[in-house]
Amino acid sequence: MDLELLLGIFPQVLIDGITLGFMYALIALGYTMVYGVLEFINFAHSEIFIVGAFVGVELLLGMKASGWLDTLPWVVVLLLILAAGMAVSGVLAVIVERTAYRPLRHAPRLIPLISAIGVSFFLQDLIRLVESLWRNAFNLVYPTMDALNRRFDITPTIDVSVKSLVVIVAALLMLWGLYSLVNKTKIGKAIRAVAEDQPAASLMGINVNRMISLTFLIGGAMGGGAGVLFGVQYSLINPYTGFTPGLKAFTAAVLGGIGNIPGAMLGGLVLGLLESFAASYLSLLTGGAFGAEYKDILAFSILILILIFRPKGLLGEVVRERA
Amino acid sequence: MLRLRRLLEQPRAATVIAVAALGLTAWAVSRSPRSVVLFMLFQASIFLLYFARMPRALKILVTALALGVLMPVLGTINAYYMEIAIQVGIFVALALGLNIVVGLAGLLDLGYVAFFAVGAYSWAIFGSPQANLIFGGDRFPLSPWWFFAFLLVGVAVAAGAGILLGLPVLRLHGDYLALVTLGFGEVIRVLANNLDKPINITNGPKGITPIGRPPIFFAPLLRAIGIEPNPNVIYPLYLYALVLLIVGVTILVNRRLEDSHIGRAWEAIREDQTAAQAMGVPLVRMKLLAFACGASFAGAVGVLFSAKQIFINPESFTFMESIGVLSMIILGGMGSIPGAILGAAVVTVLNLQVLKGFSLWLNELRNAGTVILGYNLANLPTQLEPAKYERMVFGLILVLMMIFRPQGILPARRRTRELGEP
Amino acid sequence: MATFLETRGVTKRFGGLVALNRVDFELEEGRIASIIGPNGAGKTTFFNVFTGLYVPEEGSVKFRGHSLTGLRPDEITTLGVCRTFQNIRLFRNMTAVENVLVGMHARVNAGFWGAVSRNPHWKREEGRLWSRAAELLDVVGLRDRANEIARNLPYGDQRRLEIGRALASQPALLLLDEPTAGMTQGEARSLMALLRKLVNDLGLTILLIEHNMRVVMEVSDHVTVLDHGEKIAEGRATDVQRNPRVIEAYLGRRKWTPRAEAERA
Repeated sequence: MDLELLLGIFPQVLIDGITLGFMYALIALGYTMVYGVLEFINFAHSEIFIVGAFVGVELLLGMKASGWLDTLPWVVVLLLILAAGMAVSGVLAVIVERTAYRPLRHAPRLIPLISAIGVSFFLQDLIRLVESLWRNAFNLVYPTMDALNRRFDITPTIDVSVKSLVVIVAALLMLWGLYSLVNKTKIGKAIRAVAEDQPAASLMGINVNRMISLTFLIGGAMGGGAGVLFGVQYSLINPYTGFTPGLKAFTAAVLGGIGNIPGAMLGGLVLGLLESFAASYLSLLTGGAFGAEYKDILAFSILILILIFRPKGLLGEVVRERA
Repeated sequence: MLRLRRLLEQPRAATVIAVAALGLTAWAVSRSPRSVVLFMLFQASIFLLYFARMPRALKILVTALALGVLMPVLGTINAYYMEIAIQVGIFVALALGLNIVVGLAGLLDLGYVAFFAVGAYSWAIFGSPQANLIFGGDRFPLSPWWFFAFLLVGVAVAAGAGILLGLPVLRLHGDYLALVTLGFGEVIRVLANNLDKPINITNGPKGITPIGRPPIFFAPLLRAIGIEPNPNVIYPLYLYALVLLIVGVTILVNRRLEDSHIGRAWEAIREDQTAAQAMGVPLVRMKLLAFACGASFAGAVGVLFSAKQIFINPESFTFMESIGVLSMIILGGMGSIPGAILGAAVVTVLNLQVLKGFSLWLNELRNAGTVILGYNLANLPTQLEPAKYERMVFGLILVLMMIFRPQGILPARRRTRELGEP
Repeated sequence: MATFLETRGVTKRFGGLVALNRVDFELEEGRIASIIGPNGAGKTTFFNVFTGLYVPEEGSVKFRGHSLTGLRPDEITTLGVCRTFQNIRLFRNMTAVENVLVGMHARVNAGFWGAVSRNPHWKREEGRLWSRAAELLDVVGLRDRANEIARNLPYGDQRRLEIGRALASQPALLLLDEPTAGMTQGEARSLMALLRKLVNDLGLTILLIEHNMRVVMEVSDHVTVLDHGEKIAEGRATDVQRNPRVIEAYLGRRKWTPRAEAERA
């Protein structure tokens, strides 16, 4: 084992882990907020997430074709695609809630879950259909923005890509925005009330249905924003790319404590870091026997272990057993 | 539609209609072998038999004739139909297996395809040279006769996997159980994709080939009656017969379990697990039994699948397949054996025939440059291939069924019995 | 000889809440006894401890000398203790006779392979099960509704079915949680007659949780009163209803007593 090599890659692994972690955190927020309010796993959130990525890529491709990509400053471009991605994803989440979940709100728990799985699958192929018709291609690549590919020196020996920094900063801003919204505004208080006790909130004059829709809107927007950042970071997307990050983000949400917003952020970071370290070090440590592909098993194993041994997660409350 | 149902309840009319429908559609298909619609009508007429009120012996005879004679004949005329029939059979067995876990015991298993994979890989590894890479030497593949033993091996290995999966998830409810089983299914898939080092067990994404097929042991018999056994012709029929056999056993076992204290205990667990336990039902044992039992059917058809395909790789065993089987029993009716069969048949036909037919038809229109409403279809994007839209089909089925008819098309009917007789 | 059912110092806590506080209790065989007390006194919690749904933090529960603490509910049922629930917990989408059949699961003498192979032994067992189920439905008066789906049965019949299902496991001790809740006085009386019959003919021991004081007075040989998780009185029905602590626990007003209530009805 080459200790110098191991230490040498450490900063990059750390940065990658943090970047990935924030992305998972943003997606995890969508799962955790909906679960907090409805005690329901929004399986389709992984597609809400990737829709954001597609909105971003379509806008970028459009801007590139029309020349705007070169004329506008990259910050403006980024803000535009983030806003667009968040808006579309948020609205899509609300539409999904109204059509596929609300009719089933009082059904036994498995029924809306199955519906959510159905929505997830449907959306995957719907994206494929739309892109096939619009662009005759559904494996899309984010156009490069030169500004983002530059590397930035933090210290004389460690450098980081502007792209990663952008993702981290954007994620931090969004997380801070959400935190303020949920904890410092009246609407946030209403959402928290609905999450605590629906009937009581309703009796206090809170329009529960509207708050639920709003929760989906916000959670979906977070997911959409994460999608745009995902596209910017990893460049290559297709309609099925949402599934694995979605599942991992759900793991992160459970890890932190499902229904708990700071928990989702914490869980995302922990999972991102663990995965980054696994991806980089696993192969080195095991002499090539277990390569980076096993990082997926890491996430799934964490999911399985947590749900079995500590379903309330790191920060969560005890989950009430529904008989 | 309702009038047809009512007609079918008059025994004489029913027999006439059912037999006539079968005969007519079969004849029509034989005259026009490429017509997708006609073949679907033939399949529909087989289903008509289920609703027809005919004397039991006659119904069994007609069904046997339809499946045992008419279908193979049509399959010989158009080999694709044989392929469809075999696939339907495989999925019927899978649906019935999942029906035990989800429909009877109420445990939402989203990783069911893992058991199918385990069965398939067990024969694939030992029925091909792959095992030589694991154990060294030259002893593999095993002789094709081992296939029959491996049908049982597949059952055992899959049942074992079912117990392994069941043990940790016993205390979980609803959503969490579903997610853990999903995770398990994904773990199996990633393992299948990556267990090519340090020891090459599954050969990773490249898959395993060539996989041995069961021996044509009845070749001398065929020659004796003057038929020269051509493998390309024989194997589809042979595999079809094997599928029918496995499906038959599966249906038999399912029905017997359903109508026994085991089936009742499973249903009690599904209805109210706490009350069931308070009434003396041992939850751990019964849940593990459900997992093992459901898994074993998948294991058996898994072995058949790999022998039929000759080549398997991890692509056949993804989450999509698990959801596909789930959508079949949701469509047909959870906990209902006829429902599972109907669901499996309809969904498989939808994917293999309807979507594919749509694809072919679209291509024809493209090539012909047909113009509809001023739009030249030759301009249709080439990436638009309806055959690939299986997920949309599954997704729509799941959502629409949950909203409009959660009990399925053929819901489970409670068994009623005259008391005073066992 | 070991007492039929006894608890010593049973304590059950939920976080900071003490639901049962060092409760001692004894029950003799062949009796009908009642546990009464205001809402929230811990009566159902007590049942849940007997049947293994809850594990007490302290104390012991012994049934015919066997310790029940730490056993699973299905193991306890096999030992001969069975219960009904406060909110009826039937298998709602199964028929009445199927509900009863499930209750027999602990006594079934056939296994998985028997069911699959349908061997003669299994067929005999199934036959025995079905005829016994028919008898039990007779006992609770539901024979003619055997094939009805449980959730479609009228409320009173559902309660009877629950009792029939509990009887299916051949218990020595039957625990009934508010069996007459929601019944008219007439229905309650016929249920009490049934309970008496069960004790006299089948040799059962029955422990009731009840709010209907008339029923308690008429049918119980022994009454125990719980309040806030503690036993505050016990003895014969007539003695308990005069106990000032009991009266105070219920309403604290002298005008209303359990006895007056019973006499008024």
